[in-house]
Amino acid sequence: MITVENLTKIYGKRTALDHVSFEVPEGEIFGFVGPNGAGKTTTLRILAALLEPTGGRASIGGADVAKQPDLVHSRIGYMPDFFGVYDQLTVGEYLDFYAACYRQGKQRRGKVVNELLVLVGLAERRDQLVDTLSRGLKQRLCLARALVHDPVVLLLDEPASGLDPRARVEMREILKELRVMGKTIIISSHILPELTELCTMIGIIDHGRMRATGPVHDVIRQLSADRRLRITVVGDKEAAVAILKPMPAVHQVDIANGTIEATFEGDESTAADILQALTAGGIKVSAFSQVDGGLEEAFMRATSEEVG
Amino acid sequence: MSRVAAAFWNPIVAKEYRSRMRTWRSPLVMMIYILLVAGLGYAVFSVIAYSIGFGGAGNYGQALFTYLVLFQLVLLTFITPALTAGAISGERERQTIDLLFVTRIPPFSIIWGKALASMSFVVLLLVLSVPIFSLVFLFGGIEVDQVIYAFLVTIVFALTLGLIGIAFSVLLRRSLAATVASYVAAFVLLFGSLGFGLLFPTDVDPKSKKAPTPPALVYVSPIIPLFTIANNGWPFTTYGIRYPNNDIQFQQGGATVCKPMPNGGMACSSTGGGAPVSVSSSVTFQQTTGNTIPSGLFEGWEPWQATIVMQLAICLVALLVSGFFLPPVRRFRLRRAPAIASTG
Repeated sequence: MITVENLTKIYGKRTALDHVSFEVPEGEIFGFVGPNGAGKTTTLRILAALLEPTGGRASIGGADVAKQPDLVHSRIGYMPDFFGVYDQLTVGEYLDFYAACYRQGKQRRGKVVNELLVLVGLAERRDQLVDTLSRGLKQRLCLARALVHDPVVLLLDEPASGLDPRARVEMREILKELRVMGKTIIISSHILPELTELCTMIGIIDHGRMRATGPVHDVIRQLSADRRLRITVVGDKEAAVAILKPMPAVHQVDIANGTIEATFEGDESTAADILQALTAGGIKVSAFSQVDGGLEEAFMRATSEEVG
Repeated sequence: MSRVAAAFWNPIVAKEYRSRMRTWRSPLVMMIYILLVAGLGYAVFSVIAYSIGFGGAGNYGQALFTYLVLFQLVLLTFITPALTAGAISGERERQTIDLLFVTRIPPFSIIWGKALASMSFVVLLLVLSVPIFSLVFLFGGIEVDQVIYAFLVTIVFALTLGLIGIAFSVLLRRSLAATVASYVAAFVLLFGSLGFGLLFPTDVDPKSKKAPTPPALVYVSPIIPLFTIANNGWPFTTYGIRYPNNDIQFQQGGATVCKPMPNGGMACSSTGGGAPVSVSSSVTFQQTTGNTIPSGLFEGWEPWQATIVMQLAICLVALLVSGFFLPPVRRFRLRRAPAIASTG
């Protein structure tokens, strides 16, 4: 559905995007993760045909963003990271205005506006002035605005930024509903935990380069070369550490809160070997478990490796 | 809605109307505008009513009309740039422009919608001033067609200023810069073109049978056309025209200055204490009919027609510039995009 090939964007001397490539099949939710200034917004703006790439190609459903911006605009719903709202307009008029901008007839507009207000939970605020809404509600209104023409693709740039935890949960519920509707969605964020649950795919970008891309679990596995063990022993912890430290597969050993945490490189059998070595050394192991570092860890790892 | 109506009416117009008329600013501007025009009308009336030897009521009407029309023009020169200079840059500053670009509204419709919305407000102001202008008819001396032409010139000038404001709003990205640039452009159009006539006047060609006129650029400013409409005639004889030196014949203790009249003939007057002289070489210029421009680029045109044509040409340029520079992804390029080096 969304194809990005060698996308490059240069602002003066600064390279914002450096040959970025990824693909999002139909119906997938692609989490676009990276620290601030990594190139997420630039990529999304190019995909929304709002910015010309310096090089490379991007297309939405086969429509090239540089050559067929009108076709692209009819297929995407775009929610920018910063957006303003017009003052002196009510919530209903605001949505009606954008529906009219998408050349929808008057009757259809009324129906669409009603449905969207229900979807984002703003039905009772229909006659309230837009600039009196709270930030969370504005964000929901902006999401509704991105949906007025029933696009197949949604490009959401930091939809949850600046929201309180409750509003964030509500935003996530709305996005889940959209996933059920079969939309292809790209969500950018620098906040990771909210993406692990929602996304089916993930792409990690840093300094304009894609660090990893693919299904969520693949990316985590790809990035987590080092795995972590949490070991609880009865008795002398130092003895256990003395056994663990010389092992070549084990990288780091710490004692924290009465448990031993160790990182190691390898697979399941390496973990079994470590346990065997401990018990062979006479250590009474009461608990031995692998800790999933998760996306946060993978992300930190991917973005801290190389700076340049 | 018919296709023609749909082309002019777009959602932006409706939205602009709503947000413009929901603020306190618009009624306030309308009120101040009316008070100023009415106040000036009253002041002019008071002055000319008590001045001795001003002539009949028709002259009252003409003088009142002249002052009102010119004052209205200057007022609109102050108001119109403020209405449009923030049109696009304001959307950029409020970060709403991207939301418009991703809709199916073509960039040109955005410009047209903004222009139409602000021009409607100008037209509203002009309509509001009609009752004050109708006072002119109490005195007479002004025909309805003169009023129509004067309003037409005023509206076209306001449209020009409006479109220039939008063009600067597109080009400069910051509302403050766009506003300043629009005001500078507005006053250059209004007064600068008159200054052009003084700096680079037309040289009179003694061989020509046609009466001399100021350079064509002078008609960019609607001031002279409004004067000719209001006074039903060309008010200046020497403005923007340079006479050859041999028309000034020096005599003992003074000189005689001969000037060709715009509508033909030659007028000579003596300055200083010299004796009256007879003019040896008399030039007779061709008679012109009505208020038409006797020579030059716009020969045979009425001054208001010349100004409207030039204003519309400026409008077209402003529209094209705005339409070209507004879209974020341009279809046409001025130069080719630089090639990028391939890196790992």
